Amino acid sequence: MTTNHKVHDTPSKLTVEIGSLKLKNPVMTASGTFGYGEEYAPYVDLDRLGAIIVKGLSLKPRRGNSSPRIMETPAGMLNAIGLQNVGVKSFIRDKLPYLRQFATAIIANVYGETIEEYLRVCEILTAAGGVHALEINVSCPNVKKGGVAFGTDPDMIAEVTAGVKGVTDLPVIVKLSPNVTDIAAMAKAAEAAGADAVSLINTITGMSVDVEKRIPHLKNITGGLSGPAIKPIALRMVWQAASQVHIPVIGVGGIMSAADALEFFIVGARAIQVGTANFVEPRATINIIEGIEAYMKRHNIDEMDSLVGTLRI
Amino acid sequence: MCTGRITFNNQLGPHHLHMAVRLPVKFPDPIPGQFVMIRPTRNAGPLLSRPLSIYNYERDQNQVILEFLYRVVGRGTELLSQLTPAAEVNILGPLGRGFRIEKTRSHRILLAGGMGVAPISFLAHYLKGQVGGKHELKICLGAKSCAEIIGIERIKVMQGFLNIATDDGSMGSCGPVTDLLPNITQGCDPRKTIIYACGPMAMLKTLAEQLAPTGIPCQASIEERMACGVGACLGCAVAVKNRRKEIEQKSVCKDGPVFNIEDICWDQL
Repeated sequence: MTTNHKVHDTPSKLTVEIGSLKLKNPVMTASGTFGYGEEYAPYVDLDRLGAIIVKGLSLKPRRGNSSPRIMETPAGMLNAIGLQNVGVKSFIRDKLPYLRQFATAIIANVYGETIEEYLRVCEILTAAGGVHALEINVSCPNVKKGGVAFGTDPDMIAEVTAGVKGVTDLPVIVKLSPNVTDIAAMAKAAEAAGADAVSLINTITGMSVDVEKRIPHLKNITGGLSGPAIKPIALRMVWQAASQVHIPVIGVGGIMSAADALEFFIVGARAIQVGTANFVEPRATINIIEGIEAYMKRHNIDEMDSLVGTLRI
Repeated sequence: MCTGRITFNNQLGPHHLHMAVRLPVKFPDPIPGQFVMIRPTRNAGPLLSRPLSIYNYERDQNQVILEFLYRVVGRGTELLSQLTPAAEVNILGPLGRGFRIEKTRSHRILLAGGMGVAPISFLAHYLKGQVGGKHELKICLGAKSCAEIIGIERIKVMQGFLNIATDDGSMGSCGPVTDLLPNITQGCDPRKTIIYACGPMAMLKTLAEQLAPTGIPCQASIEERMACGVGACLGCAVAVKNRRKEIEQKSVCKDGPVFNIEDICWDQL
């Protein structure tokens, strides 16, 4: 036998665990920025990603908001898509079989207008097979019902989280909104209710005005701000949350490069999500994975755990 | 994503430029109506790339040259306009679904308003091999004034039939380009005719209303703000009727930018 077992014998330095979910690296695609994976397959080897988090799924298909839905702003962009999605059943029928062929964790982002809808979508996804974790979206700022209405009240976060945990055996990640006074209180509410992890931050509510016409640039008037403009806020919130909870914290918000990702690990994020950067550079996730690997080599770091939460103050 | 190098970036009109970019041979052949997402490589300005429709392309053994006609409308296009030869740009593409050539329709009418001339000129060039014989090609161009009638050099030398309209009457007929249509379509057989159009949404909406009673099919290339260009961000949604006449959200970048004009829900724009 001349087979080289080295690849298998040496686990990657980049592996991380989010509850019972084992990821080959800590780089995920943020929900709503990577479609259902397929859209980026011509540009990105999907097998190399830590996880793909798909666009938020609701029980029924949603048409989303009217256009214009996006507007670029300094170092960022506003969006008010309004959770346009194919609906959970169509996702399972039309999108999931494609995603199942990759050796990458598939995380379904779940949205509901009511607690019952969250639970039903989670049940359906759990029964489908091929979904490795659920991310509960209690933080979308662009819908009239549900979304951030749940995410700004710790009792509501707890109720949704506990409910979801009751209907699934998949790891549950609760995606938190930054549009709150005390992010750590929200993270603690999710943890106390049984969440396996929290991810933060979703977009920050903002707006932009066309001064010539005196109309908002977005039909929805307000939208969610993402991109490098929000990174310092995201980093601060991840640091605050990570110092208050014991479950893994997944950092999201304006991560464009490996250096940005490393900042999040150092303040306590166990994994990160790449969002708006995908729009700017389709290969952003791969560049970030390679950059993290290079950094670990340069600093002789053997495992992610030796990096996470190592901020020196 | 490809890195390209500007070969020229010339001012053509008040805010109008003509840019050529040299790209590696691996860049796939575009079809008329397709676009790219483009941004300066050294980028101190906007984060997102800008969608630009392809005006022309040429390929040889060593390179691909892509050409664009564009108008400065905001910070992104302003920065593009400042690029000088040899500057690098990042290009993703060709993207989207372009015009679909219906071979059985021998009477082709191309209609462009404003910067819509870019893809329409590319299409005219593409179709020119079929001009003459049993195929007929007519082109209608419109703009605010003669200063904004640009990019017609290639069309002028073609055998096609070129009509021009300007809002102020400084070149061709006075009025919107869609006013040229009744004369041009008069007496033509709707089963053998097709219109290919690109221009501002208001022009295309008028066109849709004008064509509805005639039964003449039309493919229209539309515009919307985009972030990703590949159908992931859902920023460029447009309401479109499917075959079962149900309304669906489509992405202009991926499902378009070319749609059948009668499928677009104009009342929802």
